[in-house]
Amino acid sequence: MSHQPIHKILEELPASNLTTRLLGALDYVVPGQWENVTSWETMIKRVTGEDDQALIQRVGDRAIELYNDPEQGYQRAIQIFHLVDSTQGMAGAAEMANKLSESFDFLSFLGRITPKADTTQGIDAAVKFVAEMATFCYTNGLPGDSVGDFLSSLMAYEKEDSIRFAAWVTFDLVLPLGPDFLAKTLDVLSSATHAELGENSRFARIAKYLPGADLAEKAGLLSSTLAVSSGHITSFVAEKGLDQQDIFQRIKGYVEVGDNALDYVSAAIDMSTNYFEHTGIQSVSRRLISRAYGEI
Amino acid sequence: MNIRVLLLLGALALSSGAAGCQDKPTRWDTAATSTVARAPDAPPVKEAGSFNKFFPADGIDGMKRVYTQEKTGFAEAKLQKDGKDVAVLSISDASGDAEALKKFEGATDKIQGYPLVTVGKNQSSLLVKGRYQVKVSSQQLDEGARKPWLEKFNLSGLAGL
Repeated sequence: MSHQPIHKILEELPASNLTTRLLGALDYVVPGQWENVTSWETMIKRVTGEDDQALIQRVGDRAIELYNDPEQGYQRAIQIFHLVDSTQGMAGAAEMANKLSESFDFLSFLGRITPKADTTQGIDAAVKFVAEMATFCYTNGLPGDSVGDFLSSLMAYEKEDSIRFAAWVTFDLVLPLGPDFLAKTLDVLSSATHAELGENSRFARIAKYLPGADLAEKAGLLSSTLAVSSGHITSFVAEKGLDQQDIFQRIKGYVEVGDNALDYVSAAIDMSTNYFEHTGIQSVSRRLISRAYGEI
Repeated sequence: MNIRVLLLLGALALSSGAAGCQDKPTRWDTAATSTVARAPDAPPVKEAGSFNKFFPADGIDGMKRVYTQEKTGFAEAKLQKDGKDVAVLSISDASGDAEALKKFEGATDKIQGYPLVTVGKNQSSLLVKGRYQVKVSSQQLDEGARKPWLEKFNLSGLAGL
C-alpha cells in the first residue's frame, strides 16, 4: 500500500506549533469549536461518545479500512489538503526554530519573506476556497448540485471545518486584503488572464483535481464558487466583527514582523503555517469515524 | 545562527529521524493494511444517493435535518435543534458484511418486525430486509428517545428498495 494509513497521518500532527497556536487565537471567532485532537482513539471517543474499548477498536479499524480504499475519495481529499497548503522555503526552518521557543521570531527570516501582490493573494484565496469545495465533495460525496449543496453545508460547518473556514476568512482575506477583500478578490479573478492563473503555483498544484475540462472551466469555477458563497462570507465577517487591525493586534504576539506590516504578517503566516492541511486531516478523520460508526 | 543552535537543530533532526525508523506496534496495525471485507457472492452495495428519500422529514419535532454524507452504500444526516447537534441518522448497506449482520442474531426487540439492537451506549440499530442498517446515534438521546426516531424513517419504502 503506497499511502500512509489515516490514523498515522492524524497522529503525526503536532500537538503544538505555530499553526495550532494561531488557530487557538481564532477561538474567539468560532468559540469552543476546535480542539487539536491528534490521537485516533481520542477522535473516536469525541465523535461517538463511546468508551467500550472493543467498540472503539471496531470503529477505528473500519474507519482505517474505509480510508484504504482509494475509490472512496478520502485519500484524494487528504492529497488536496496537503497540496494546497504545501509550505515550502522557510517553513522547514521555521518549524525547527519553532520547536526551540514558544514564540517564533520572524525578524531573522524577514529577508526571505516577500509580501504577495494582491493578484497572487486573491488567486491564492480563491484556490483555497475551491479546494475546500473539492475536498468536501471527495470526503462527503458528490451531491447533484455541488456548488449549491456545498453552500448549505458551509453554513452548517462545525468543529475542524468551522475553524478552517474562520482561518481562511481571517488569514487569507481580511488580514491581507482589508475590508474590501471580496470585491478585490472577485476583481482579481475576473481580470486575471489564464496565463496568470496557470503561473499561480497553488492553482497549478491542485488544478488536475478540480472539476472542469480545461483551464478556462477550472478558472470559471474559482469565480463562480466564490461569487455564489459571497453572501455567506460577508455576513460571517460582519457577524463575527472581523476587522483587519483587530486581527493584527490579536496575532502579532505570535508572528513578530514589526509594526504595521500587515502584508508581511500575512505572507509570514502563509509561508510558515499549514492550517488547511492540519484541520483538513482532522476533518477527514472525523467523517471517516462517523461513517464507520454508522456501518459497523 | 551560532554553532550551538546548529548543533541543537542537528540533534533534533537525528532524534526525530531515529524515532521514525522504528515504529512501535499499535492496536491499529491490522486495519492499516486491509479494506472492508464483504462476501464475494453478496448482492452489490447500493449506490450513493439511494437512501436519502427514506430519512425522516426535515422539521419534525422542531428538528432541522442536514444531510452530511452520501457515499456508496451509506447516507448520513444530522438532526439539529437551535443550531446544536442532537443526533446522527444513518442508513448503510450491510450486504455481505458478516460482522455487521452478526449482532442482530437473537435480537428480541423489534420495530415493525425488524430486529433492533443497541450498540455501545449511544446507538440504536435496526436491520431492514436483512441488509439495510438504520441507525440513530446520539450522545444526548437515550435508548428510549432514539427509538421513536427509528420509527420516523420510511422503513417499508427502504424494504422495497
